[in-house]
Amino acid sequence: MRQVFYLMQKEFRQIVRDRFMIALLFVAPLVLIFVLGNAVTTEVLGIRMVFYDGDRTPFSRELLAHFRDSRYFRIVGYESRYRELTRLMDRGEAQVAVVLPAGFQRDILRGSAPTVQVLVDALDGNSAGVALGYVTDIVRRFHKQAAVSMPLPVIPTGGRRVAAETRFWYNPNLESRVFIIPGIMAILLVITTVLLTSLGIVREKEIGTLEQLMVTPIRSWQLIAGKTLPFCVVGFIAAILCMVFIRIIFGIGIAGSILLLAVESVLFILTTLGMGILVSTISHSQQQALFIAWFFMIFGMILSGFFIPIANMPPLIQVLTYANPVRYYMTILREIYLKGTGLSDLVEETVALAVFGTVVFSAAVLRFRRTLR
Amino acid sequence: MKSAVSIQGLAKSYGTTRAVDGLDLEIEQGELFGIIGPDGAGKTTTMQILVTLIPPDKGEVLVGGHDVRTGIQAIRSLVGYMPQRFSLYPDLSVEQNIDFFAELFGVPKSEMAVRKQRLYRFSRLGPFAKRLAGKLSGGMKQKLALSCTLVHDPEILILDEPTTGVDPLSRLEFWEILHHLHRMGTTVIVTTPYIDEALSCDRVAVMHGGQSLACGTPDELVSLFPHKLYAIREPGISLHDTLVMSIRGVLRVAAFGDSLHVAAEPDTSPSQLETELSAALGRGINLEPISPSLEDVFIHLIHTKRNDGA
Repeated sequence: MRQVFYLMQKEFRQIVRDRFMIALLFVAPLVLIFVLGNAVTTEVLGIRMVFYDGDRTPFSRELLAHFRDSRYFRIVGYESRYRELTRLMDRGEAQVAVVLPAGFQRDILRGSAPTVQVLVDALDGNSAGVALGYVTDIVRRFHKQAAVSMPLPVIPTGGRRVAAETRFWYNPNLESRVFIIPGIMAILLVITTVLLTSLGIVREKEIGTLEQLMVTPIRSWQLIAGKTLPFCVVGFIAAILCMVFIRIIFGIGIAGSILLLAVESVLFILTTLGMGILVSTISHSQQQALFIAWFFMIFGMILSGFFIPIANMPPLIQVLTYANPVRYYMTILREIYLKGTGLSDLVEETVALAVFGTVVFSAAVLRFRRTLR
Repeated sequence: MKSAVSIQGLAKSYGTTRAVDGLDLEIEQGELFGIIGPDGAGKTTTMQILVTLIPPDKGEVLVGGHDVRTGIQAIRSLVGYMPQRFSLYPDLSVEQNIDFFAELFGVPKSEMAVRKQRLYRFSRLGPFAKRLAGKLSGGMKQKLALSCTLVHDPEILILDEPTTGVDPLSRLEFWEILHHLHRMGTTVIVTTPYIDEALSCDRVAVMHGGQSLACGTPDELVSLFPHKLYAIREPGISLHDTLVMSIRGVLRVAAFGDSLHVAAEPDTSPSQLETELSAALGRGINLEPISPSLEDVFIHLIHTKRNDGA
């Protein structure tokens, strides 16, 4: 046990001396949270809109004001000629065109549904869909509001309508960063543990000290413990920093149990440390280790549902995500972080993490021992 | 005398390459033993097997009486090993490096101060104790690496080409340290590509193709040379080695700087050789009988081995 302590002490000395490591530890969480928290967003803001007003009534101007007030839209034209509208769309100056036909106000006052035409530049299909959603939403809300604020209540023709009232729970404003941010912790843990572990071991291989270590009487489990525990600690420090930053910058706290989160993180780290060791056993230089680790990290992140919801992936890829431990940890993180979910609802994911951790870590230890001898 | 190292029929292959191929060696306790051989002779593999870094394929290898297959822990605590690319942590100080290896070898804390002083004394690294190892000169790095391998007072010191790439002065200094350790009773096993270093060993083994071609004191090895040896000292003579080689009775020609060493069959008369050489080269050639050096023996042994193989 003393030997493990000395190995760890040495490792920490090297970490502290390595400015890059310190920077990685403190700056990486901050940058990741800032950049990913703000940049990775499925929201579309400031959509350029041209507004064709064929009605020219107080109602049509009121609807325009609704669009103008929304941060999702920027009005680049208020036209009364249809030709002008197509021109703006063709030149890409406008991404969305809203066409109000004459009779818009009249229809509302009569209680019949007004027709609004929406043209969307659908080159970027994703954004187009989102933009269309916003437009429909604003028009619908305007319609409802207008109908209610009428001096005389307007009874919609066609009998009683059932209006579905939608409410978004856990992330009421549908801010995508609320969804993204907890995932950053997973990314950070993956980076620190997989990368630092593999680089740390391969560096010793490169400079030849691993050979020196191996001729000392320390046992291979001591060597593995001494090489991985420090990076475990580093990973957790980074994760804790990450949580603190998230709280400070975005005001998002942990809804669930911190203890549960910690336990799940330990299970997860078993896998990533194992990966780190495995990578180190198959690479001969730090560059090689970096490339291999990078490959697995990209795979792990993309197939984790961090950026792209797993449900949106083709079925075959969806099946693949089950082989990705990050997927389970991502779910666990979001559940605990945002919903405060307890262990009883996370059994499947926890078991998956535990199985992955045990298998990957044991495989790594076995392989590492074999390369030692 | 007890054997420090005993190797019998050792073989180790990497894929189809036979790195070590039937090696036999006995190294006695307290010996300063040199292993000389060209690159790829299997020296490093042999050393790595001795220090239990890699297991042998075949053969019996005992180090300090322990089998390298079963006595790994015992061997590791009595052997000090300095790999070919001697290595230490460049981002730790001299003292931290020494402390670290002392701790791993389980050197008692109470003994550390005395041992460190002793290591500093012979390595003269004392004044640089706080300096980062990466900032040391090549010779000092090498002495630090040696200090780290000596920190647990090994009975057997195994050094794999410790002076390759080190400046001549540091090399000399390093060998003084080795001789000192030898006098103190440590068994020192050292591989080297340098003839002069091999000459200062008690006994030398010539390794080639994974085997020991000959083993003995430097004098014994020299006496193994079966031919007559002459030197031709003429400017530019080394350009004519193929011509000289074609003369009847000449067995081998090797260039040594500006002179040629000519090995001839023992029954050829020097005067007859001289005449034929002069005729062939078109000028008066003077043959000077010389006694073979270890280098001549080395070349002879390796050539013979190659011809046997062919």
